[in-house]
Amino acid sequence: MLSSRRRLETRNQHEKQRSRYFHNKHITKALPAPIEPMQVDMQPEHNENTEEDNEPFIVENPTLDLESYAANYSGLAKLHRLLFIADHCPVLKVEALKMAITHVSFTCNISLYQTLHRKLVETLGSAGRLPDVAGGAASKDFAPIDNQWIEVRSKKAAVLLEKLDTDLKNYKSNSIKESIRRGHDDLGDHYLDCGDLSNALKCYSKARDYCTSGKHVVEMCLNVIKVSIYLQNWAHVVSYVGKAESTPDFSEGKESNQTVLTKLRCASGLAELAGRKYKSAAKHFLQANFDHCDFPEILSPSNVAVYGGLCALATFDRHELQKNVIFSSSFKLFLELEPQLRDIIFKFYQSKYASCLKLLDEMKDNLLLDMYIAPHVNTLYSQIRNRALIQYFSPYMSADMRKMAESFNTSVPALEDELMQLILDGQIQARIDSHNKVLVAKDVDQRCTTFERSLTIGREYQRRTRMLILRSVILRHNIHVKVRSKSAASGGRPGTHVA
Amino acid sequence: MTVEDMKVLESDLERQELEAAGGAPLPASVYTQLLAVYLYHNDLCNAKMLWKRIPDSAKLADEELNAVWRIGQRMWQRDLYLVHVALAQTDSWSEPVALIMDALKGQVRSRALELIGSAYSSITVESLARLLGETPAQALASAASQPGWQIVDSNMILPKKPVPPPGPPLTSEDQLDKLTEFVSFLEN
Amino acid sequence: MATASALEQFVNSVRSLSTSGSFRELAELLPKCSEVLTRNSQHLDNVLETLNVNQHSLGILAVLVAKFSANPQPEQADSLFSQFQDFINDFNVGQVRNATDIFAELCHLFTKWMVERKTVMKGIDVLRKAISRIQTNEAQLTAVHADLCQLCLLSKCLKPALQVLDVDITCILPEYDPPVQGHQFESEHFLRYFYYGGMIYTAVKQYDRALYFYEVALTTPAFAVSHVMLESYKKYILVSLVLHGKVNTLPKYTSQAMMRFIKPLSQTYMDIANAYSSNSITDVQAAVNKHREILERDNNLGLAKQVVASLTKKNIQRLTKTFITLSLSDVASRVQLAGPAEAESLILNMIEDGEIFATINQRDGMVVFNEDPEMYNSPEMLHRLRHEMTVCMELDRKVQSMEEEIITNPQFVKKAGVGAEEDIPPPAGQQTPKAAGIANTYSV
Repeated sequence: MLSSRRRLETRNQHEKQRSRYFHNKHITKALPAPIEPMQVDMQPEHNENTEEDNEPFIVENPTLDLESYAANYSGLAKLHRLLFIADHCPVLKVEALKMAITHVSFTCNISLYQTLHRKLVETLGSAGRLPDVAGGAASKDFAPIDNQWIEVRSKKAAVLLEKLDTDLKNYKSNSIKESIRRGHDDLGDHYLDCGDLSNALKCYSKARDYCTSGKHVVEMCLNVIKVSIYLQNWAHVVSYVGKAESTPDFSEGKESNQTVLTKLRCASGLAELAGRKYKSAAKHFLQANFDHCDFPEILSPSNVAVYGGLCALATFDRHELQKNVIFSSSFKLFLELEPQLRDIIFKFYQSKYASCLKLLDEMKDNLLLDMYIAPHVNTLYSQIRNRALIQYFSPYMSADMRKMAESFNTSVPALEDELMQLILDGQIQARIDSHNKVLVAKDVDQRCTTFERSLTIGREYQRRTRMLILRSVILRHNIHVKVRSKSAASGGRPGTHVA
Repeated sequence: MTVEDMKVLESDLERQELEAAGGAPLPASVYTQLLAVYLYHNDLCNAKMLWKRIPDSAKLADEELNAVWRIGQRMWQRDLYLVHVALAQTDSWSEPVALIMDALKGQVRSRALELIGSAYSSITVESLARLLGETPAQALASAASQPGWQIVDSNMILPKKPVPPPGPPLTSEDQLDKLTEFVSFLEN
Repeated sequence: MATASALEQFVNSVRSLSTSGSFRELAELLPKCSEVLTRNSQHLDNVLETLNVNQHSLGILAVLVAKFSANPQPEQADSLFSQFQDFINDFNVGQVRNATDIFAELCHLFTKWMVERKTVMKGIDVLRKAISRIQTNEAQLTAVHADLCQLCLLSKCLKPALQVLDVDITCILPEYDPPVQGHQFESEHFLRYFYYGGMIYTAVKQYDRALYFYEVALTTPAFAVSHVMLESYKKYILVSLVLHGKVNTLPKYTSQAMMRFIKPLSQTYMDIANAYSSNSITDVQAAVNKHREILERDNNLGLAKQVVASLTKKNIQRLTKTFITLSLSDVASRVQLAGPAEAESLILNMIEDGEIFATINQRDGMVVFNEDPEMYNSPEMLHRLRHEMTVCMELDRKVQSMEEEIITNPQFVKKAGVGAEEDIPPPAGQQTPKAAGIANTYSV
């Protein structure tokens, strides 16, 4: 059934279509042979994920100011995001790696330091520079691996670990619940600092048994959620969001809870986004409270604007978009951070599709450098485009496809392909007059449809009833195929007799 | 030969074949006739089956049988032009077959005309000639004799959809009777 | 002579039991005589002469079974055939219905013999007669049905079988009530009938009916997957694709064994079905080529080729949903045909077969896809509606009468009345679930 969405398209058309709209000129595929698009079509749910997650892509012309971008995040979020940019954007790679190295040197995350450094060496090496050359321009650009730092940090981390461990043991022997809880949390923090996510998760989770108030439970949940997001374990995220929300003391009204609530909404949004449930993701992000959006370990307020805005654009109908996005006083504040996106949404709402799609295209490169939205950009863009096409045609009985193509920055034949798909999916009730290049709304004759349906149902009834009568005869005569009967026709253990 | 005659002939030939099975070989003309009747009824599946079961001896000995099957093959391939070509290859058929073949020729032609009428809004003389197995001049004449067909620009023909023959009329009494029956059925 | 007296004894029993009208008793006696008869095969013609076809049908039946079992010699062929034919023409129906299993056995032996002698077509007429004489009504399935279909398939003469196949089965010989031990209708004959029937309908391109027949075979209650069911499933997949462009899931009442084992056993066919769902001719062609050997071995290659051809048609039908007009060359490129000429001739064929509604415009090289022109306002359509309605009503009446039959069945009343007391041994196994099944489905 899924595959029925993509009928009749030959590989070429499909590939062309994709690249025409979404793999714009700035992006070239790193591999000469990308994953076969038709294969993806056969099981979209399964494969698309891996395709878009794994398909290496390169962004060549970002307009990102790395410094200010990185300033929005703290901790691992900053590191992961910089690393993602380094992996997908050669122009920013060195800068991103260096920034990450600077940042990681304040932590005990030695393995990440080594990884980052290795990547940097590789990059500079491949760029024709000798990593070990001292002095000159190269040395300004590049610091050799700081073994002393590694040594000092390792020792420090080990000592701290031992101390925290001993402390925890002491608390446990004294059975002071609150201290034990804190001990676990401290130990979790330390593991997190070292980049040991699975141990961090364990420690944070263990704190659960020592929570004495709702506040503690929520805190524990937030810790687990945070680490689970780093681990991209979305099922875990969802379940701990649920736990936090169902904590008795946690009521939504309290001012102090707004921050927590926004964090939970954002975490849910991310999880839904990762699970490709864009509409639900949009709803979560739209519930974030601008004044309490303080979650630099995961995302920034402008991320909320982008994630929520794009998902809403791709999945909301006109009315929903108006009510929940455009007229939403709280989300308006988020959108102020992303004026380009705000323009896109307004242009879409005003049916100015050409400029809307053009703006979308312009911001695409930067979106592809965002680790959470990047795998979904193509899907979201095509959904937005389809929604625009549907909305464009909705008031018409017939539409000139030449004008329509103009409004959508495309050619008539390409538009024909797109419309065909939408018609086959049942999203547009129309047919194409390819001779005159007009899209004509379908005129449904209720009377004929009813007759047709009744005949079909009648036929179906006849078939079923015949089968039923026959079946009752079968049962009445106790006809059944036995195991290991002598004759080949009625016997045979499956797998042995029947090969 | 009427449509009814053809049906009777078909079942008669079929019976002959069955009864002769296992006994003395049938004269090839029985097979030839039956094959031709199947073609007349456009019953190509049964024609093909028949050809498959006709004994090799008959196939080898009887040229006429082969000629009929060649037509059948073209019909199976659904190439009207080649059907006409195959039909035209034999001038005279033997006595019992000739009647059927005449009927078949007429049948192929009228089916072609009906199809062209319903499938084309405009067709060139050349295409029409191919589909009818005629020369362009003959085809023009054929088109002119069809009710409602137009010839424009001397070589483009605008056929007209054939009107389906009216079905048996219904008396309103009969209808009402049925309707009552249906309603009482549906309500229970 | 001991043997002669045994034969004499047989003849005497046949005569006396026939005269007294104790046919049930005689029918039960026959299996015990089979050994004596087979041992004395050289004297059987003499025995036949002492018996009368109509008066002593059961006796003759037993003798003929013995004759066919004893590997008849080629020189006996003609006489044996006419003995069988005479019997079929003249047997006393009332007598032989007491021994339907032996009658079926005789027909099976006869069929086997016809197949061995490669005179399959010769057997068709007489088997057809056998069926129509032994059954109590034409909607009754007999164990001979499958034999007739087999002979028709082998002789490539399908029409006689179609006359039988076209009648929907609503009962089975022997009738269930009262159940007679040893008169169990073999599932083998049942499966073969529906499998052969499916093949025959496939051969004459009545795919809808073919699918129905395969489905019956597939959903027959089973504790194991038989060859016939497996082969039915393979053909079911291919015919489904040709007809519907997809494979429907099997009904819920399909046996567990079937559900569990059938898919891994028919991987080739699942591959083709998967390729088909992509709507890509290239993919389907590739799948068929890849499994060519298996398809050939299963005798399904021709059908598989039709599957490929059907996809092009399906793709054209899909175009009619999205386009009002399209140039012939666009049609060709969109459904991967060689050129506009090929597209035109395919469209022409599809118009003739009523598979699409379209008009070709050669002047502009375009095709116009029309909506179904049926307005449902003609007397013909009214006739058709009336006909369909009547069929539905007849079926409904049939179900109702079957339901009544069950409700008034003393065993059912007893069971239903007694309710949940489980210590009563079920007298006839399937009674309750069957009744419940019918009642449920009917209420739906």
